[in-house]
Formats: sequence, C-alpha cells, structure tokens
Amino acid sequence: MSRVLVAMSGGVDSSVAAALLVDAGHEVVGVTMKTFCYSGTPAHSKTCCGLDGIMDAKRVADALGIPHYVFDVEEDFTRDVIDDFVSEYAQGRTPNPCVNCNSNTKFKDLLTRGRALGCDQIASGHYVRVEHAPEGSSLLRGLDPDKDQSYFLWAMPRSLLPKLLFPVGELTKSAVRAHARDLALITADKPESQEICFVPSGNYRDLLEKRLSPVHPALQPGPIVRRNGEVVGEHSGYASFTVGQRKGLRGGFPEPMFVLQIRPHTREVVVGNRDELFEDVVDIGGLNWLAEPPTVGDRVNAQLRYRAAAVPAVVTRIDESLTLELAEPQLAVSPGQSAVLFDDRERVLGGGRIVSASTRALV
Amino acid sequence: MQPVYLDYAATTPMRSEVRQAMDPYLSDTFGNPSSRHRWGRKASAALEHARAVAAEALGAQPREIFFTRGGTESDNLAVLGRCRAISLEDGLPTLAISAVEHHAVYDTARWAEERGELRLVVLAVDTEGSIDLDPLRVALNDGPTVVSVMWVNNETGLFLPVPEIATLVEELGGTLHTDAVQAIGKVPVSTKHSGIRLLSATAHKIYGPRGTGLLFVREGTDVAPLLYGGGQEGALRPGTEDVAGAVGFATALRLAVEEQAEESVRLGALRDAFEDRVLAQIEGVRINAGAARRSPSISSLGIDGADGELLLSALDLEGVATSGGSACASGSNAASHVISALFGPDDAKATVRFSFGRHSSEADVSRAVAVLADVVGRVRELEGVS
Repeated sequence: MSRVLVAMSGGVDSSVAAALLVDAGHEVVGVTMKTFCYSGTPAHSKTCCGLDGIMDAKRVADALGIPHYVFDVEEDFTRDVIDDFVSEYAQGRTPNPCVNCNSNTKFKDLLTRGRALGCDQIASGHYVRVEHAPEGSSLLRGLDPDKDQSYFLWAMPRSLLPKLLFPVGELTKSAVRAHARDLALITADKPESQEICFVPSGNYRDLLEKRLSPVHPALQPGPIVRRNGEVVGEHSGYASFTVGQRKGLRGGFPEPMFVLQIRPHTREVVVGNRDELFEDVVDIGGLNWLAEPPTVGDRVNAQLRYRAAAVPAVVTRIDESLTLELAEPQLAVSPGQSAVLFDDRERVLGGGRIVSASTRALV
Repeated sequence: MQPVYLDYAATTPMRSEVRQAMDPYLSDTFGNPSSRHRWGRKASAALEHARAVAAEALGAQPREIFFTRGGTESDNLAVLGRCRAISLEDGLPTLAISAVEHHAVYDTARWAEERGELRLVVLAVDTEGSIDLDPLRVALNDGPTVVSVMWVNNETGLFLPVPEIATLVEELGGTLHTDAVQAIGKVPVSTKHSGIRLLSATAHKIYGPRGTGLLFVREGTDVAPLLYGGGQEGALRPGTEDVAGAVGFATALRLAVEEQAEESVRLGALRDAFEDRVLAQIEGVRINAGAARRSPSISSLGIDGADGELLLSALDLEGVATSGGSACASGSNAASHVISALFGPDDAKATVRFSFGRHSSEADVSRAVAVLADVVGRVRELEGVS
C-alpha cells in the first residue's frame, strides 16, 4: 500500500479526491497549504483557501479518518504568485496567477514535502487526467469539458508527472458532488470558488495600489489612443485595463470601443472597434513542455484563455519562444495569459505565456 | 507498529481511579448542589468533599478553592478578575507577566492592555529561568500591581522562581498569580507561601477530566468575576457546578501529589535517557533550557535545518505523537513567543516538544529516538532542495 499526499483546499473536489484514494486502499495524508494571511479577509470568505477552507479540509479529513496537516507556504506564494501578478500588471499584461500557483507553488512544494513525509505520490482534486505509460506520463484534459483545469497545469515541471494522481479527472462535477453527498461530506454543496483567492473583493486595483509605489507609471493617468496615434481620451492608469476590455473607456464613440493593446513605456492604452480585436498570429514565451516539444510545421490546438475552446494552429517558429498561426482569428488575445497547446487526443503538450499577438495581414 | 504517545503536556488519559470516583455523579447522584432536596444535598456534599480534598492537596483552606471550567478560565479569572477588582478601588493597575506565560495569560494581558484596562509590563526570562526583577520592583513600587508568573513553562518545562518572586511581591505589596497547570504532579506545588495569592490548576493534565480547573484565591484577595448570573462558587464562577468534574479533579489532584516524588524520579530518568540518546545520535540538536532546572516530564528540542511543521507531521505519520512548542499553535511557521523570548526572535531552529507521562516506557524512548533520527534526516535532506 502506498502513501499518497493529497492537497485538500476545503472544496468538494479535493474532498472527493481524498475519499476516492482512501477507497482505493491508499494510505492517504491530507495537506492544506496556507497561502496568504487571512486576517484581512471576511470570516466567511467564499474563496477556496481561506481559513474556513482549512477548517473544512480538516473536518473532511477527520471524517475520512486520515491525518491532515497545514503547511504555511505564504512566503513562496507571495513571491511566486502575488509578486508576479503585480509585476505583470505593472508591465501592462494580464496574468494568470492560478497557473503559477497550481503549476508551481502547489505541486513542487507538495512533492518536496511529500518526500519528507514518506509519500510516493501526490494527488489533488483537479479536473485533469494523467496517463502513466512505460514511455512516460502524459497530462490530459479532464473528462468533464465544463470543469477541465488542464489550462492551469501546463507550467509544472515534466518530472513531476509520474508522481501525480488526479482521482476526479475521470468524473463529471455532478458525479463528484453526488459522491460527496453519498459520503455525507460537509463540502458536498459548497459553492465553486471563482475569484482570485488573494483578491477576494474582485478588485485587483486595490492590491496593486498597496504593493506598487503610488507613483508607478501603471497607476498614473495616460492617453487613450487609436491605432493611428489619434488621442481620444485619458485613463487613470493602464494597470486597470486588459486587452478586450470595454468597461472603463468613456463613451462618445460612434461604435463600441475595446482595449486593443497596452503600451507601458508611453502609458498609452490603444483602443479600437471589435473587428480590430481579432488576431491570428501569437508569440509565446516562457515555454514549458510536458511532452516532446513540437517542431516547425506541427499542428497543435491552442487554448488562449481559461474558458475558451482550443483553436487549431501551426507552429511557424520555435526557439526560446515560439510563433503560432491560428486557423481562425481569435478575439482579444491578451499578453500575459497562458497559451496551452494540446494534441488531437487532448493531451497537454505544454505552453507558455502570450507575449504579443498580431494579424497575418500586417505581418 | 503501535503508535507512541509522547504528548502528555497537551493532555493525558483519565486514570481508572478518577473515572470510578466520578461515575456515581454522572448517573445516580445527579442532583444540582444548589437544590434544597436530598438529591441536591448529596451533590453538594460531594462537591464540598472534593473542595476539601483539593485544598488539602495544595495546602489551602477549602474556602480558598474555586472550581472553574479549566486552566484557561482560571488564568483569565485570576489576571482580569484581580486587575478589575483593583481598578474599582485604586485606579489603573499594572500587570507584570513573565515573557513565557501561557497564551491564557499572555494574550489576555495584551488584549486588556489594548483596551486600556491595565498597564502591561513583560518581564524578560533567560534560558536559566532567571527573571528580570528590576522592572518588577519599579512596577511594584509605583502602584497597585498584579504579577503573573507560571510555575513550570508548558513549552520547555523551564522552572520559574515562583517562591523567590512571591517573597518580593509580598514585601512590596503586590498580588502574585501563578499558573501551576504544568507543575502539579511534576514538582512539589503548594500554596503555603503567603506571597502566592492566586494559583491556577487544571485536571486534564494530571489524568483527570477535561473541562475542570480551579483557582486558588487566598483569603482576603478580592477578585471580580468574569461571569454573572448565579451565586455558585462564591459568585466568583456562577453556573451550575460540575460535580463529577470536581470529584474527578480532586481525586486526580490527590493522587498526583501523593505520587509526585516517585513519579518525578522515574520520568526524569526516562527524559534523561531520551536526551542522552538524541544528542548522541542526531547532530545539530539543542535541548531547550537544558541546563536549567526544569520539569522532569518535558523535553523541548531545538533542531537545526529542519521545517517544524514538516517534522511534526512526519513524526506523526511514523507513529510518534508530539507537539511543536505547545499543542495550541499549529499551522504557523513563526517561532512561539516563548522560544523567541528565550532564544531571540531570529532563532531558526524547529521546536519539537516530547512530554512523558504515566504510561511512557523505555521502549517508547527507544522508538521515539529512532523515528526522530530517521525523520530529521529526511526533512534535512529537503532543505537544500526547496
């Protein structure tokens, strides 16, 4: 019987993951990571990893008869997730903090600690699947298309894959809830966590103002311009904008306007109409591979934001970064977001962060 | 393999004698001691008998023993209640506490200071158990002062010089409270020194029931209650009395005091054997307060190059039950206020407290040392990685 460490957030998915592992006869050890200081958040915060998340995870572990430990990873989380989040917005990009957290903070740290605890494998409640084969392990999308979380895990070291178990990846969310109800787990009907856990209010601008110098360019007023350079207004800091955003741009235009681009050096926010938002050439940096890297000419499926369908694409260049040409132009391709590449059987090849996007017509 | 319990400072299993003594009061003899009828009278007689037994064990008068619902409550009642009684008469009191007090005193004192109820003075303690007495003298000379110094520190087993402080506090007209929760049964504890005016104790650390404590209040010492709504326990702790709890506590207390001398020698030998082997087999370990006079039942280790939470979790998974500094502060990497006070705020060692008790054996010691050596090795291997 092998000893498995399961990351328990206090949500229903990881609760059921732990229960399934117990059923399968593993010696299961529950761990909740304390990621940031909760004193400033409301007592009944909805986010998964708040203090009540820790208590719920402990209650579930007690009910399952497994040990449960809390590990304080606040220092790593602040450095790798929050600082990076702030720095990305400061540079005019739109970060995915959940990618950093899930790919790195969670699994790398769990594996290290797991080794000290004598655990051979690490499990979580993510909706993804992992296939262990003699030629190597692969990460695949979860079976429930509405819940698939593979988008958040592309950045983990490939060497972790053989150690991972994702018991709920084969299930739908409704099956997970049904199982939790059958076991009378207290987390069975807990609502989904949606917002970024360290921005419970949903207003990330407050966090930026707290962590950046008040004179940081990202928080200073700047011009709103059209592609042709025509100044059409003023904004109160480009950190409040993301590509594709409509909110926060004052009216007075004959047609709806959207953010097309953020230029941190000039503090310009470039706006245009909806048609201008479509792009089909994407540069991706910070690459990480969970399978053999593609080569020029390979066809892949690229997912460019969390809740978007993957779009067929061709790799046209690859070195430290790569260029993709998309089969169809995509709306609002945002620098900073993750681009995750899949093969035709829903296997995660790897991914990177979007550096820039353009249209073939202009290349 | 059978798990090994080495966390007796957190809590203890109930002794059979205690359970037997309590049994009638959990069923047949169930009356409310305040009732005038025979059920009430029987309960009241049992309660008063328990009070007399507890008083005798502590060298006190029965009328000086007030049952509470535990050590935390006794500490709160002593510190806040005494300060409030003073402020009704003499204005703002000063509360002087040692830097290593239990949270039940330490946090209570800080909270009351923030609310403007008292002036707080925190007295430095060194690893020998010596207390900085100069600020204490200044406070005592300055005005009405309550002093709270624990007899034995719960995290390290360190003795504090309670009789010496009692003499000083008495001379200078202050009120001394001592938290004797970890001292009873481990060292001779008595209220005979007239400088000790308040003393807190609890049952579950000495094989008695959870949820029963007592506060010794020397005659002539005014303490304001924290709760209102009845005349029980001299109106100092209103609420229907827990007769079974009081009976169980009195039994446990009597036995602990009777057996203290012999049991301390046995526990001290176990602890010394444990520490000798730890030091021989594992490098980079400090016995916290090892050179000082301390409780024979507690061994607090400071371990270099290891994450404390990980160490405790790994020990647990291998079947050895211990605590960090105390059982109350889990889930945080920060050093406890006790370790910071003794070794400075930058002390980076992981603290693991082993505490021995009635059922601890040589075999437990051997097992604990072997598991600790293995686990420390594993956790240290990772320090370079993470």
